[in-house]
Amino acid sequence: MRWLPYGPQAVMIYFADEVGAEAFQCGRAIRAALERRPPPGLREFVVSFTSVLLEFLPAHAVDGDALVAALHDAVGASAPSPEPPRVIPVCYGGPDLGRVAEHAGMSECDVIEVHCGVLYRVYSLGFAPGFPYLGDLDPRLHVPRLATPRVRVPAGSVAIGGEHTGVYPVESPGGWNLIGHTAIRLFAPEADDDARFFLRAGDLVRFVPE
Amino acid sequence: MMPPVPMTEPFLEVLSPGLGAAFHDQGRPGWRRFGVPAGGAMDAHAAACANRLLGNPPWSTVVECLLHGARFRVLRDCWLALTGADLRPSHPRWRVFRAAAGETIRLDGHVSGVWAYLALEGGFAAPHWLDSASTLAAAGLGRPLQKGDQLHRCESEPRFEMPPGVTARIAHWSEQRDYSHPPPLRVWPGPQWDWFAPDDRHRFFDQPWTVAAQSNRLGYRLTGEPLARPARSMISEPVRIGSLQVPPDGQPVVILRDGPTVGGYPKIGVVDPEDLDWLVQTAPGRPVRFTAISHD
Repeated sequence: MRWLPYGPQAVMIYFADEVGAEAFQCGRAIRAALERRPPPGLREFVVSFTSVLLEFLPAHAVDGDALVAALHDAVGASAPSPEPPRVIPVCYGGPDLGRVAEHAGMSECDVIEVHCGVLYRVYSLGFAPGFPYLGDLDPRLHVPRLATPRVRVPAGSVAIGGEHTGVYPVESPGGWNLIGHTAIRLFAPEADDDARFFLRAGDLVRFVPE
Repeated sequence: MMPPVPMTEPFLEVLSPGLGAAFHDQGRPGWRRFGVPAGGAMDAHAAACANRLLGNPPWSTVVECLLHGARFRVLRDCWLALTGADLRPSHPRWRVFRAAAGETIRLDGHVSGVWAYLALEGGFAAPHWLDSASTLAAAGLGRPLQKGDQLHRCESEPRFEMPPGVTARIAHWSEQRDYSHPPPLRVWPGPQWDWFAPDDRHRFFDQPWTVAAQSNRLGYRLTGEPLARPARSMISEPVRIGSLQVPPDGQPVVILRDGPTVGGYPKIGVVDPEDLDWLVQTAPGRPVRFTAISHD
């Protein structure tokens, strides 16, 4: 683990050199540690693929070495018990399912089977509230983003963008290939605390066709 | 989603939102790890000043107006404050003023700045999502104000009263900013500072950059002599507000309050949070200069 200063009252900590199972476990443990016992003055944190940003309130001393040491201990000490995967039922058949099948050189049924056959890791949330970057997608389904993004992608769209798959939590513009739709709401701003977000970084996800 | 209408009489009516008007406050820190931008008034200094003039709590909701065109009809006598951009307003800026029922508040022109703030005694009553009234229409958290919207007062807060013997309440001169002359903005090294060649680091600080028209609450695009993009691939990582991302075209983008929480472009620097309020008030076509500040 190493850290870099990132302007006043903030550090970026890098906990892995490449995306993968090890980075995922590490990010998950760091998230759990920061939620369970946040360092004094922590204003907010963002965990992503191989790094975590920590921002502190004004007038709190920020000691990168101490933070790295504490997180290092937390990662080593507690392997957070694996939670059961979050299940997302999908009605497959989006407007780009045919394009993805053609690109992969397989039938649409096989695309669905391959897309459902993987236990995905939520590496990062971003782009939109609750939008998960899910890996690792079967390389045969790595289909480039659309040359011209759609102006409007409906909420609940299940999509493939390059090496990731994801679900659009809110209606937004987007360039990913749409292969299905889910009724699960990934972002419910009116709900109570824990129910606002269906997923968080570090979760496991399984898609099930319906 | 329409805000719930409180059982009170409205104080203002939106005659026109102009180029854009919306409720904002100090934003919603703490949700960026779920991909929710912190939001909040673009110019936190000006918004805070408007609330302070009226004695409002610092978390009170204000109306943020983008450039010219916003007009409001006063429905009931009230105390208001107007701060931020100089949009040739019908009423004075940087001081509390009394508006009478029937008057119209207009922001008709443009002298300097980008964002103007209108505060009402006690704050505007506005729906809250994730602890904040800051509008984030893209995520369904509120919507921009529209013609005909009626604006209410936060009735749980006391009305404003000019203290006895006081004739005017005016922001200290040092708080009244002239956005036509921004100071050089302090920039700290970003996580990928070392990835940029020394020439490009110099080029970044040595030239004035122009704020491009493609600028909004998500980010401001800067144009100038382009920086060479480092020839390294990058794994997407968290992005701090104020970050200067350098996309392949070499023209930096400053990530702002509604901007992405994660990004895959190298960040040459990050604008000091206090100086962001100056940056956002720099109108498209106007120059900004940066000055280096170091962690040592």
